[in-house]
Amino acid sequence: MTGTGPVEPVNSSETGESHDVIGVDSPRPTDRLRERWSALPPRTRTAALLALLTAAVATGVLLAPHHHRTERPEPAPWPANVTAWHYLGPVSPPNSPAFAGRFRFAVTVGKGPPVTLEVTGASSPGLRARALPEPDFTVRPGTPRRITVQISVSHCSGLPLNADLPFLDVTLRNTRAIQRHSFIFGGAFSRDLSELLHAACAPTSS
Amino acid sequence: MRRSMVILTSVLATGALTLTACGSRDDNGGGDSGDNGDSKTLTIGVDAPLSGENSTTGLGIQYGAQIAVDDANKNKLVPGVTFKLKALDDKAQPATGQSNATSITGDKTAVGAVGPLNSGVAQTMQQVFASANMVQISPANTNPELTQGKNWQTDKKRPYKTYFRTATTDELQGSFAAGYAYNKLKKKKVFVVDDKQTYGAGLAKIFAEQFKKVGGKVVQTDHVNTGTKDFGSLVTKIKNSGADLLYYGGQYDESALITKQLKDAGVKIPLFGGDGMFASTYIEAAGASSEGDLVTAIGVPADTLPAAKTFIETYKAKGYKGDYGAYGAYAYDATTAIIKAVKAAVDANDGKVPSDINALRSTVVDEVQKSDFEGLTGKVAFDQYGDTTNKQLTVYQVEKGEWKAVETGTAELN
Repeated sequence: MTGTGPVEPVNSSETGESHDVIGVDSPRPTDRLRERWSALPPRTRTAALLALLTAAVATGVLLAPHHHRTERPEPAPWPANVTAWHYLGPVSPPNSPAFAGRFRFAVTVGKGPPVTLEVTGASSPGLRARALPEPDFTVRPGTPRRITVQISVSHCSGLPLNADLPFLDVTLRNTRAIQRHSFIFGGAFSRDLSELLHAACAPTSS
Repeated sequence: MRRSMVILTSVLATGALTLTACGSRDDNGGGDSGDNGDSKTLTIGVDAPLSGENSTTGLGIQYGAQIAVDDANKNKLVPGVTFKLKALDDKAQPATGQSNATSITGDKTAVGAVGPLNSGVAQTMQQVFASANMVQISPANTNPELTQGKNWQTDKKRPYKTYFRTATTDELQGSFAAGYAYNKLKKKKVFVVDDKQTYGAGLAKIFAEQFKKVGGKVVQTDHVNTGTKDFGSLVTKIKNSGADLLYYGGQYDESALITKQLKDAGVKIPLFGGDGMFASTYIEAAGASSEGDLVTAIGVPADTLPAAKTFIETYKAKGYKGDYGAYGAYAYDATTAIIKAVKAAVDANDGKVPSDINALRSTVVDEVQKSDFEGLTGKVAFDQYGDTTNKQLTVYQVEKGEWKAVETGTAELN
């Protein structure tokens, strides 16, 4: 399929409309060329045609793969499939009593267009989370961005103090889609968040 | 002039044919016609329930692997090697799975295996593959013990270096479901049921623990037997418990009947389950009673993965049975990991297939551990336990008779 494109005008030439199809739109040069062409001996004309067409075919072969590659651009990926979060650590340990903590993350976008993110919540209804200094931020592919998320305790009732697999709710937006996505963490973030929750809701137990 | 036109037409026609042929070779990756040369056939085993209970998702595994093998052969991914699939039906029975594992490892052309579906079946197969030093990659097992040992919550230890999986674990699935149920669905009282199987009981236990941790209450627990059809007494218990959510650890076969009988009895609470329920058969069997029910499933929706588009088209065009939605693409990636490992073994052996099958199997295990490629489901790689590093999950809910993704999540557990 990729190789048939360059020779399409040839089919039209059989109907005597090759000049129109190729797009030579100035009548004077055409007329002069036609006169000169007619004046050439038949063998010369045949040889010239063959040389011209061989060059055309060769050009077609060379251009065909490039044409194939640029046929259909890949659609932008869904933002949740290319965005990753990595926990870096607390900005500073919470003081006692503390009702908010700040945590650092590295956010990367693997490929595609830039992704704009907004942190909308954390593991529990008793927690509020937002990125600082602005609630939404944009990450470009190949350029990881370090951001700070502030998590504050709005109420302790029913709040689990040991945060197993805590998560951040994030809205992701690129040119393909807007998605709500949870980024779930273990290890260090789980420990650091638990420390904040204990400090905020059970300060005497720690 | 007319003679010139004849020559011109001939030359261009020849050129057109030449170019068309070039295009065909590009599209087909060299084609798969008769040029077999001294090609060697290697076998990849598949074990899954291919008939009876769980077979909807089991067949999705078989044909996901089949498409991967067909693609590898068509594209001559490993020059000089033709791959063949050997699919065996374990009927979701551990003893049958073990027997199938013995059959696969006894085949001296076999280099690896994909499957099984059920974690309980996997437990009986792992030792067989370990003894043969043959790689086994499950696209569906989610029980944490399989990769991290019995004490996975306190002291992770990998039991078998030959076992891998492209599915994430129930530690994540149970937690994700509990968080969604409590925080998003605002459910506070849950009735937890499991099917006593390794997968179902393990998942239900993790869900119950996590639901309590996030602030919810487990009002009652109960167990059912696989194959049961009448859940009248269970429905009565649920009705009297005052639960606002039913969580079920198990497969779609039983849960579809439970939700139908529950709703028929006037108990209008949603049933929430794991990836074992994520099948079109669940909705078909339960009918309108399934509306509003939920599952967590591994990975993100296939239709958001550009690389999976061709896979889905091929699956449908071939008219394959079963449901590719839950594990089909993961089976494709598991199979491809084995094929790429064989390629690495061949490349390291001056382009020849190692003549000693045991040496080849051993190298394939090592190479699968080193996997690092973009599959249909995203990056395919394994951690030190043999678990996938691609830890994504989706919550689906039945809306107007179809599974619809309502929440997705990605875990970074380090």
